[in-house]
Amino acid sequence: MIKIDALAKSFAISRGQKLSDSEKQDVRYSKEAFHSVRNVSFDCGSGEVLGLLGPNGAGKTTTLRILSTALQPDSGSVLIEGVDVLKHPVQARKKIGFLSSSTGLYGRLTAYENIAYFARLHGMSEAALKQRIDELFTLLNMHDFANRKADAMSTGMKQKTAIARAVVHSPKVVILDEPTTGLDIMTTQTVLDFIRSLKQQGTPVIFSTHHLDEVASLCDRVVVIDKGISAFSDSFDAFKALSADGDLRQSFMTVINATASNREQN
Amino acid sequence: MWQVYFKELTELVRDKKTMFFIILLPILVFPVLFGIMGLVVANVAKQAEAEEHRYVIINADKAPELTEALFYHKNFKKVESDLTDAEALKQAIRDNQFDLAIIIADDFSADAANLTQSKWTVIYNMSSQLDMIDKYFNELLRDYSKKLQLAKLDSLGVTAEKVDALLQPVKLDKVNTAESREDLGEKIGGLIAYILIPLCLAGCSYPAIDIGAGEKERGTLETLLICPISRTSIVLGKFLTVLTTGLATALITVTSFGGWGYVIGSLMGVDIVAKTMSTLGVADLLLILMMLIPLSAIFASLLLSLSIYARSFKEAQNYIGPLSMIVFMPLIVALMPGVELTWSMAMLPVANVALAIKELIKGTIDVGMLLAIFGSTVVIAAALLAFCVSWFQKEKVLFR
Repeated sequence: MIKIDALAKSFAISRGQKLSDSEKQDVRYSKEAFHSVRNVSFDCGSGEVLGLLGPNGAGKTTTLRILSTALQPDSGSVLIEGVDVLKHPVQARKKIGFLSSSTGLYGRLTAYENIAYFARLHGMSEAALKQRIDELFTLLNMHDFANRKADAMSTGMKQKTAIARAVVHSPKVVILDEPTTGLDIMTTQTVLDFIRSLKQQGTPVIFSTHHLDEVASLCDRVVVIDKGISAFSDSFDAFKALSADGDLRQSFMTVINATASNREQN
Repeated sequence: MWQVYFKELTELVRDKKTMFFIILLPILVFPVLFGIMGLVVANVAKQAEAEEHRYVIINADKAPELTEALFYHKNFKKVESDLTDAEALKQAIRDNQFDLAIIIADDFSADAANLTQSKWTVIYNMSSQLDMIDKYFNELLRDYSKKLQLAKLDSLGVTAEKVDALLQPVKLDKVNTAESREDLGEKIGGLIAYILIPLCLAGCSYPAIDIGAGEKERGTLETLLICPISRTSIVLGKFLTVLTTGLATALITVTSFGGWGYVIGSLMGVDIVAKTMSTLGVADLLLILMMLIPLSAIFASLLLSLSIYARSFKEAQNYIGPLSMIVFMPLIVALMPGVELTWSMAMLPVANVALAIKELIKGTIDVGMLLAIFGSTVVIAAALLAFCVSWFQKEKVLFR
């Protein structure tokens, strides 16, 4: 369904920009550019949930932004259902639903209008979008605040609206960038339930997270990105097997330490 | 593109802050402010006119006629003082014992046979914008001098009918070829441009910040970027929104000023507004609007580019502050007295539009120059819009 191969992306460093000591130690900094993503490859089949793990600043968000076509990679390829995302970005965008924890809503528009706006941008007809939004409102139990302005909503209501907006065009793949960071337990549950329901429908989901319990309860596949390189990409069971007692934290550290020692050998 | 446009407009219309800037400010707040300002100025002037000035006169007996006229003038009140020395009088005025001291020269004589010039002194505080003492005293002195003049001339054998020939050998009869419209246009045309152009800028500013930097700050930009519409359509939709609000602000303000002016004018019997409106044809108004459209497009592209670059509302405001200063400079140049619309001035952006608006109101516009200004403004606007569009494609601008 989704195949990502050897992605790389660097950002130019403006002249005169001072690097901090920790940045100087990062192998990805050169004189002219910051090589945020150097070599990321993974794939995800239909109905699979893929968890993207990695330390802060590892390149997770950049990878997901490339996947969602917001950024253009320097090299590598992204295929979604056989469509080359980089060559046909507009076509690919119709297949992608994207959501992050920081995704905002237009505060002065109601829940319905927020969703309808994006539905129209996706080229949906008025009749189709009305029906689809009604469906989503029932699914997410949102009818109570359908006509409330986003400014006047609770965090949970906002997140539900954002979810509905992300999937209003029935995407073929859903990409979530740290969807649960900074959310309370109730709202997190809404997001996790939503991922589960997508999985049941056979829609692949790729999401980045720092919460290993979410990985344990949802993911079929795990990818660990460290310093811009996909250091691990395999099934959840293979990831779990990296540590002797099946402790995910330990598995994660094993991957990170392995890349660190590799580098030292080089 | 239109989806973006209509959504942005809906959102702006719902925003109280924007509505305040675009509608309430020009319709209610500005006229009220200007009204209050006018009232205050009128009141101060009235007060100054009605004020009574205390005076001391030295050697009053030498010029009895003037002394009498002064005594009966409603704005002067005589006070007694023993002081005669100029320095002492000065100090007394500073100490607020009286306001004015008139020292008639010791050797002055009102006698017609006396043919020497006499030097008098007046002492008062001249640091006032409305120097009423000067005005009133000069009126009195002019009448008095005239009488002395005639008496002296008479004593020299100059009869009344010869006086005019002697004092004013040539009398000028001035014939004005300027139509009343041209005259009026010269006086208020520059001012109208001075109000209209900054209003277009102000009307563009807030929405530009809101739908550029605001989109980044709210975190909605990313979602918008991954919608299956081109980034060009997104920018154009936003650009049109900003352009619309800029022009709407200018139009609403002009209408409101016209309306209020008409109301006030008809209430107080001042027909200057009616006169102005009647001299301006519909065609002229449309031409003024035509000039404002590309100018607003320049503002909209500039503001949107800055706003998209900024990470937050605050940052955008910091960029836009200096921009307004830059826009005001050519505007001030255009307003300076003596600056006319020449071909070299026609090349100066913003100033050329201001001058063209003035000429349009005066009714003396050169059509070739109007077209040149319109054309050059359109070219600049198109270039800036193209820049704005390409700017919006850059990752280092969008994801800073």
